[in-house]
Order: sequence, then structure tokens, then C-alpha cells
Amino acid sequence: MNLEEVKPGQEVTILGLSGKEEVLEKVKAMGLRRGRRVSLLQRVGRNLLLKVDNSRIVISRDLAKGIEVQ
Amino acid sequence: MKSIKVALAGNPNVGKTSLLNHIAGTSLKVGNWPGVTVEKREGKVKFWDYEINLVDLPGIYTLEPISEDEWIAYNYIRQEKPDLILNIIETPNMERDLLLTVELLEHEVPLIIVLNMIDEAQKLGIEVNDRWLSELLGVRVLKTNGRTGEGVKALLPNIVEVFNSKEKPKSLRYSKELEELLEKVREKGDETKAELIRKLLYREDLKELRENLKRVFGKEVHELIKDERYAKAHGLYKEVVSKKPLTARDITDSLDKVLLHPTFGIPIFFLLMFLLFKLSFDFSKPFMDWVDGFINDFVAPLVSLLISSLGAGDWVQRLFSEAVVGGVGFVLTFVPLIAVIYFLLALMEFSGYLPRVAFLMDRLMHRLGLHGKSLVPLLLGFGCNVPAIVATRALETKRDKLLVIAMIPFMSCPARLVVFSFFAVLFFKNPAIIIFFLYLLGILIAFLTAFSLRKTIFRGNIYHFVMELPPYRLPTLRLLFKVVWVYVRDFLYRAGTLIFAASVFIWLLLNIPPGVKNPSESIAGYVGKAIAPLFKPLGLEDWRIATSLIPAFLAREIVLSSMGTIYSAEVDKEEKEFSFSEALREQVYGLGKALKDAVLNTFKPVPSAFEVEEEGTDSLRALVSQSLSPASALAFMVFLLLYTSCLGTVAIMWKEVGRRFAIVFLAYSLLLGWLLGTLAYRIGGVLWNT
Repeated sequence: MNLEEVKPGQEVTILGLSGKEEVLEKVKAMGLRRGRRVSLLQRVGRNLLLKVDNSRIVISRDLAKGIEVQ
Repeated sequence: MKSIKVALAGNPNVGKTSLLNHIAGTSLKVGNWPGVTVEKREGKVKFWDYEINLVDLPGIYTLEPISEDEWIAYNYIRQEKPDLILNIIETPNMERDLLLTVELLEHEVPLIIVLNMIDEAQKLGIEVNDRWLSELLGVRVLKTNGRTGEGVKALLPNIVEVFNSKEKPKSLRYSKELEELLEKVREKGDETKAELIRKLLYREDLKELRENLKRVFGKEVHELIKDERYAKAHGLYKEVVSKKPLTARDITDSLDKVLLHPTFGIPIFFLLMFLLFKLSFDFSKPFMDWVDGFINDFVAPLVSLLISSLGAGDWVQRLFSEAVVGGVGFVLTFVPLIAVIYFLLALMEFSGYLPRVAFLMDRLMHRLGLHGKSLVPLLLGFGCNVPAIVATRALETKRDKLLVIAMIPFMSCPARLVVFSFFAVLFFKNPAIIIFFLYLLGILIAFLTAFSLRKTIFRGNIYHFVMELPPYRLPTLRLLFKVVWVYVRDFLYRAGTLIFAASVFIWLLLNIPPGVKNPSESIAGYVGKAIAPLFKPLGLEDWRIATSLIPAFLAREIVLSSMGTIYSAEVDKEEKEFSFSEALREQVYGLGKALKDAVLNTFKPVPSAFEVEEEGTDSLRALVSQSLSPASALAFMVFLLLYTSCLGTVAIMWKEVGRRFAIVFLAYSLLLGWLLGTLAYRIGGVLWNT
């Protein structure tokens, strides 16, 4: 499944990121990379609030759709 | 004295600016908003026999830049070549932060690693083996707590020692394959790893090599290098960090459950905004009254006593009481209001709530065709339009940036509030409602402006939302006061220079030709009468109002100081007995009372700042109220709200976007102010039957 389908409170592992946007490089540098554990804290509007390690990261749904998770 | 150029580099929100504040002791602005340090901020400190110049770079996650502030940091490291880099790491997020460390090390510049927020890491059960990290990389590793300043003292001697010994980090070793590849493209002995990688990635004549590598490794070369960097950062992390499992509940998570609640989050935000403005007015009102009394009943008679005892001419006496007390003194009364507004805005920023507003409100903003992040510069605009426009640099796309810059000038700043509160209290029974309406009108115009721009010039989609939310932190009072002081100092400076000059200038125009008896026959009177017809549709035929608008282009609050000067030229002064000791006692007593009232006001449920007081004795107020009607006062406020009557804002627009944009926008705002001012006069005329 992809990150967009994850339910709040659920913790998943990232399998890979796809997409051509430049912004993906930033997303990876922020810690959303293959093999990392991510939990979804909240969904508000078009965005998801994630927790990766000790940081909280907001990304929009359209980006989350391109992130394969398990 | 030798000088050392030090760059502070790190991810957003790692506390670089706070550290700089502690080291250099300069009053720099620090915030939790990722990217608030979009401008290059510098601090200078003398230590031993050295002048250490510290540059605070914008926060970046990687040296592969995308947004404007990331480019600033990237270019600085590549082109300005600092003597030393202080790599600040947010210890709780060390694995992520180490990626940048690895990229910085590729540049082979002397470097010191600063493990910041070490206290927060300890609370989370994170232990870092700093000696081992130091040994692995060949760099010094220091631990600090940026909030309290603990450990900061050790930075300066270490900077000097590293600078003197020219200690370079150990050469970074990637995998054998990559290292061999990099050696192959080496042409000179002293090329840094960063230069070799750049060459391998981008040089035209190596295109064939890149194609070959892609075949051998099955991925693009830049992917290969990125993977190596991540692997290096991850490896370092595993080597030096140990985690104890802790079950401590995170305060940030609990607070976010409420403040970022899908349903209640937005109402809570509006409630907080209401409280912010209520508090600023209620708390500052008693102090404003006190400053007013202090200037008029204490400073003014004291100085005038001094002037007459020195035997100075009558004109000196008049210049002082009309231009200095009437003009500058009047504007100074508003210092408490400005200080409180900035204090509360800074508290919101440093506590970590401000970036959350962007996330929360993206839902609404998105529907209006704007990026959630745009809201932060807009909110900062309520503090001052100028830094708000600078803050738009953190937005990723030019479209978003231009849209927001076209909105910010309609966000009403304290300078406008100063003018509003004078007129609203003077002419209306419920001044709070009038002021609230003006703020709303500004916001409405801002969104309408953005809407029409979006439908015409700036089409295109809204950019993805990617941002980090920092943990909630309670800023120290010292930090908040420092930030407030920067703004207050700036305001006082302007009062002493720009506003003073404008007041004296107006006063001179009012008194030329010499010996003029009636101000309306002076030069100022003629100029005012010449332009007054333009403002007739707004109900502002009075030449004194029109005249005061001219110098107000420098800054809006000058409208009041100019009026103060013009009107007080007409007032006949009454002589009062002045006893120094008695007046001093009164002032001290008054300050105590103001403090008490301020605290009491804070806890009243309803804003009390605008309970109307009879101020019939005040001659300026009386004169102004004679020359305007409620409808024309409203028109005047609407005009001043919308027209970008602020040299600072126009100048920063010019710098950030360009001359054409700044001039067209100024003309647009002037036209809009005039049209809506006229409309307000008509509507007011019907409502209040004048």
C-alpha cells in the first residue's frame, strides 16, 4: 500500500519513494527514506502529519501517494 | 587582530540563531519557523586577540538546494569559503542531521560539531558518544543547550584553537568503488571531495563515463553518491548513538492532540488570535496613558523651564512644544502597545505554534488557492510588513511568493493601529468594533487581491506541502525581551530621526514665511489647500489633514506627529505652575497604578481598552474632532489602511520583487484606498447622518 492509505496511529516501514519532483530529495533528506519507520499522527485537509524518529514532518497527500509502505 | 570567518550550518530549527544570540550577545531574531533566518545574519565578537565573525546560514537539510533560502546557504559555503564551519546538530534527530554533516565534510573545511539540545536528547534516552564521534571524523565535538546557553562558553576558545592549528577533519572515506572513481577524475592534488563529486556529476566531457557507470551499477551516478552519503550518515549514527527505551510521554504529542485537532484546531487558533489582540490592547492601555502623562506633565514643562532659564528665544520654546512634544512625544505614547504586540507574536513564534498554524490553516488557505505556509508571513505582517515580506523567501515557488507579497501590505501593522486607535476612540462609541472592522477589511482586500491575481497573472497549481514541525519549547523571558527590544529600539530610533525630522520640517513649513500669524497662510497651508480637493470625496477637505498625509509616506504614524505639530501650532498655551519634586512623585505613583491596571485588565473577559473616556481637556483631540465627522474619520482610516504609506514596505518590495512591481502596487493601493475611502465616507454619511 502507499502512505496515503495508512490510518492515524499506524506505524509502517517505507519501501520506496517514487515520483519525479525535486521536492522528493528534500523529503528524503528530512528522513523519509527506504527502510525507515514512520507513524501517521494525523490527517488534516490535504496533508498528513508524520512522525519519523523524533521529528514531526508534514507532507501533502499527493506526495504520500508516491511512497510505498508496509 | 586577526579575523576568523565562521559559518553556522545545520538543519532548520536546530537552534543556530539562539546559539548565535548566546555567543555574540547581539539581539538577533530567532524563531521556530523553519526558514525564519532567511536573511544572512551576522554576529561579531572579540575574543582573545581575534575578531570572530559569525554568519548564521539558513537551515538546510541537504547541500542540494531547492528553495531560495537553501540556495543562500549552499552558495555561501561554496563561494565565500568560511575559515571554519560550526555544524549545529539537533541531537534528538541526529541521524537525519548527520547527512548534512557528511556533505559539509566533503568540502574539507575545518569544522566543529555542536551537539545542541542535548537536554532534550537526554530526556528521550538518547546518549551520544562524543569522544568516539570526534575520533571517527577527526573533528571537535561540543555539547550545548541552546535554550539556556549552557556549554556555549566553550565554543569560542575551540574556534580559535581549531583556526590556529588549521585542524582539518579526517578525509571522508566512501566505498572503495566510489573512491577509485573519484580519484580517476582528479586533475589537481588539492581538489576537495566536494569538487571531485561535482565534476563527476555535472561535467560535460564525463557524460560517457556516467553512462558506463549507470550500466555497471544499475542506477544513476547521483543516486549512487546519495546512497553512499546516506549509508555514511547511518553508519556514523549506529557507531555513536545508543538509545535507552524510555516511556516518557512527549508533551508535544499531547499538545498537538488538542491544538492540531481536526475539528477544534481552527477554532482554537481564532480564539488565540482574539486573545492576542485583546491582551495587547488591554495590557498596554494603562502604560500608554502613563507615557502620555509623563511626556506632557513632566518632561515638557521641565524642558521648557530649562529653555526659558537659559534665555533662549521664543521660537526655540515653540519648536520644542509644537514639534518635539506635539509630534515626537505623541508618537512615543504608543511604545507600550508596540512592545506588547511584538512580545506576544514572538512568544507564538518561539513556542513552536506559528509553524503549526501553517499546517492547520492549509485546509482553508488551500481552498482559497493559497499555500498554507503563506499564512506565516501574513501573520508576521500584523507585526511589521517589512520582515513579513522578507519571510516569504521560505516559500518554495515564485508564484506563492509574489501572491503573498501582494497581500502582506494589507495586513494592518501596529503603525496603523496607532492611527486607528486615536481616531476610533475620538469619533466612535465602540472603537473596538471599528478597529476590528478595519483589520477584517484589510484581510478581505488581501484575499481579493490574491484571488484576482490568481485568475489573471499567477495561474498554476499550489505547491506540495512539505515542512517540519518543531517540538513545543518554552522560550526564556530573556530571549523574548531581546527580540522585543530590537523592535522597540528600531521604533525609538525612528522617532528620534525620521519622525523628528518630519515634525521639524512640517513645523518649519508652518512658520514660513517668518512671522506668519495664521498657519493656514504658511507654506504648509498653501500646499495642503492645493491637494485638499483630491481628498474631498473622502470628506477630508481640511487642509491640515491633507498636509499631514504628505510626510506620512515615510511611515504611517507620522500622520499623527504631523497633525500634532500642525494643530498644536494653533493652540494657545496656558501657563501652569510646575514643581519638580511634586511632579516626579506623581509620575512614580502613576506608573504603579498603570502596572496594577494592566494586570487587572488582562483578566477581564471583555476588551476594556476601548471604554471611552472623556478627554475634553486635550486640545489636540478637541481640535481634530472639530475638523472631521465620524464618516470622514472612517474614510481617513480606510484610506490609510489600504494605501501603502510606508517607505520601508515599498523599498523592501522593490528589493525583493523589482521596481515595476513596487510602483504598480503602490499605485494600486493608492487607488484602492481612495476608492474605498470614498465609499466608506458615503456609507458613513448614511449611517451617522452627517
